[in-house]
Amino acid sequence: MSALLEVKDLRLQFGGVKAVDGLSFEVREGEILAVIGPNGAGKTSAFNCISAFYLPTSGSVVFDGKHIVREAPRIWHRLRLVQLLQSFGFYRVLPSRVTKWGMARTFQNLRLFRELSVLDNVKTAMHANLREGFWSTLLHTPGYRRAEEACAREARGWLDFVGFEGDEHLYVTHLPYGEQRRVEIARALATSPKLLLLDEPAAGLNYNEKQSLIELIRRIRALGVAVVLIEHDMGLVMQLAERIVVLNYGKEIADGTPQQITNDPVVIEAYLGVDDEDEAVDDTRLRTGASDAEPNDESESRS
Amino acid sequence: MARRLDLALKHAPLRAPAPLFERPRAARGVLDSQTGFMRALGVVAVLFLAVLPFIDASRYTMSIAISALIYVMLCMGLNVVVGYAGLLDLGYIAFFAVGAYVSGIFTTVLGWPMWAALPATVFACILAGIIIGAPTLRLRSDYLAIVTLGFGEIIRITANNLTITGGPSGIHGIPSWDFFGWSFEDGVTVLGLEFPERVVFYYFVAAVVVVVGVIGAGRLARGKLGRAWKAVRDDEDAAEAMGINTYAAKISAYIIGAVWAGLAGQLMATHLSAISPNSFQFLYSALILMAVVLGGMGSTPGVIIGALFVSLAPELLRDFAEWRFLIFGVLLVVVMLFRPAGLWPATAILPWLKRDRPQPPPFTSATAAVPPSVLESPSGAPDADVREGGRG
Repeated sequence: MSALLEVKDLRLQFGGVKAVDGLSFEVREGEILAVIGPNGAGKTSAFNCISAFYLPTSGSVVFDGKHIVREAPRIWHRLRLVQLLQSFGFYRVLPSRVTKWGMARTFQNLRLFRELSVLDNVKTAMHANLREGFWSTLLHTPGYRRAEEACAREARGWLDFVGFEGDEHLYVTHLPYGEQRRVEIARALATSPKLLLLDEPAAGLNYNEKQSLIELIRRIRALGVAVVLIEHDMGLVMQLAERIVVLNYGKEIADGTPQQITNDPVVIEAYLGVDDEDEAVDDTRLRTGASDAEPNDESESRS
Repeated sequence: MARRLDLALKHAPLRAPAPLFERPRAARGVLDSQTGFMRALGVVAVLFLAVLPFIDASRYTMSIAISALIYVMLCMGLNVVVGYAGLLDLGYIAFFAVGAYVSGIFTTVLGWPMWAALPATVFACILAGIIIGAPTLRLRSDYLAIVTLGFGEIIRITANNLTITGGPSGIHGIPSWDFFGWSFEDGVTVLGLEFPERVVFYYFVAAVVVVVGVIGAGRLARGKLGRAWKAVRDDEDAAEAMGINTYAAKISAYIIGAVWAGLAGQLMATHLSAISPNSFQFLYSALILMAVVLGGMGSTPGVIIGALFVSLAPELLRDFAEWRFLIFGVLLVVVMLFRPAGLWPATAILPWLKRDRPQPPPFTSATAAVPPSVLESPSGAPDADVREGGRG
């Protein structure tokens, strides 16, 4: 199977802190990949780089054959205008463009549109796929009506798919937390993705809700959508994931099937720590990059 | 049917499965549906506008009515920027000035007829929206407000100092509308009623423009573009993650706000036939913003009520001329205390329909200051039977 998403040597620095430090992994078409790691391991930062919200310091991300990180010519680096140009959308790919290419994401803390109804939340995600222009909206042409009807039908289809059974006209703030999670997944699916990034989808859910989430993610995979999830709940990850990538200090420390991961001493050490320093299995794999950050490292990599 | 609907969407690799449940159709009728009631209210308002000159066609009434209509147009435009897209614009009057000055210069200096100056006005406003919006819309909330405030003043001071704009004394003798030799100045008799004043004709022109403007802004807000604006207002990052180019959405809101204000500016220039930089002070930006906030941000009926209040209150408070702004201020504080989301909030549900639907969510920016117990109404949470009923 070909790789849908290829991350190579991704680095992201905030001042002297290396949030992501040489991360490389790939996601194949239609698989469920879990990204795990202790708190602060750089999972969400890596997600934000992949979905183009953060501009990585270096490295490459290729999604579906398209480069998400774009290099600016050296002249702009030398004139120190890169950040300004990037803030105006040059030499970078906007997150909205990545979404149009077929990568959808959810957020760690729910970020639904608070003053829109459930149905409108899902409709909003179909923005890029709607044939509605300025004049057809103003004049309410038949084409506009058809587009709105198709949009509502599609949005209801996704709400049914995720098992939302409430009133679609409710404001999202009135829904219980678990239902809001479902709506957020429906909203991400409505962008018609090839790859779905779920950032801690099970946070704050009870046992029953987690079980139905597992079932939902399996149904999403059955549609042919690859799923990458960040999760702390090991039970859920072990049940769901076909492959697991473990991060620590912004680096990949292990990559394999759930069985391989549970038996990997490096992973066990990263999660549980070791009593004695002599017992440390491979200390360099864990700690390099966290300690040798040099103050002028950032300017070097930019110029 | 399904195929026809599929053609309405662009090609997308993934399509939703067909809906599993047949949901009840939205209620139709004047009193049992929100949209039906709003539509009826709109028809009543348009009828009232059409009938008003037959009731009282005095120069005074018509003049007040036209300025009220201009305020409604301005507020609808600002509502797109502030209410839908959530961009706080403190220099909105700048676009009003651009519209008024461009139509004034084209008709007096270049001698164009008013209808020919209309496209020029719209084009100038689009340009002004892009020039002011493009560099500033990268900023968020407070910074944007300060920068727009600055731009508003820059436009006024520029108009004050250029010779083509007539300097501090402004432009005089702006002609009224005329069609192929027949001008509004001439007067005519319709259905036994005499309309000698140009102001009455002008009233109808203003009414048509404003009705089109109000309906147009409402329609845009309910379509794809409007959903994008509201998404940007509620959560910019999430909107970006949903495939909305937030920058394009914001600048389109800005341009549409500018065009609405420019049309209002042209209406005012022809109505008063003279404009001067004094008509475009910061005070008016604040008044229009006040009308939008007072009425209810993002709500068409609310904004119209706010605009009517701001434009008609000075006439009603004519006897207390010096106290006017004090009374305005006190009223604003009182309204904001009792109705923090405005007189007619965008999330309002008609009282007799509330039984069926839960309360709208508490106003977000006000929730932080008020303890939750005050905002939680007893019927706030959705009842179990209501939610099951929604499925039908």
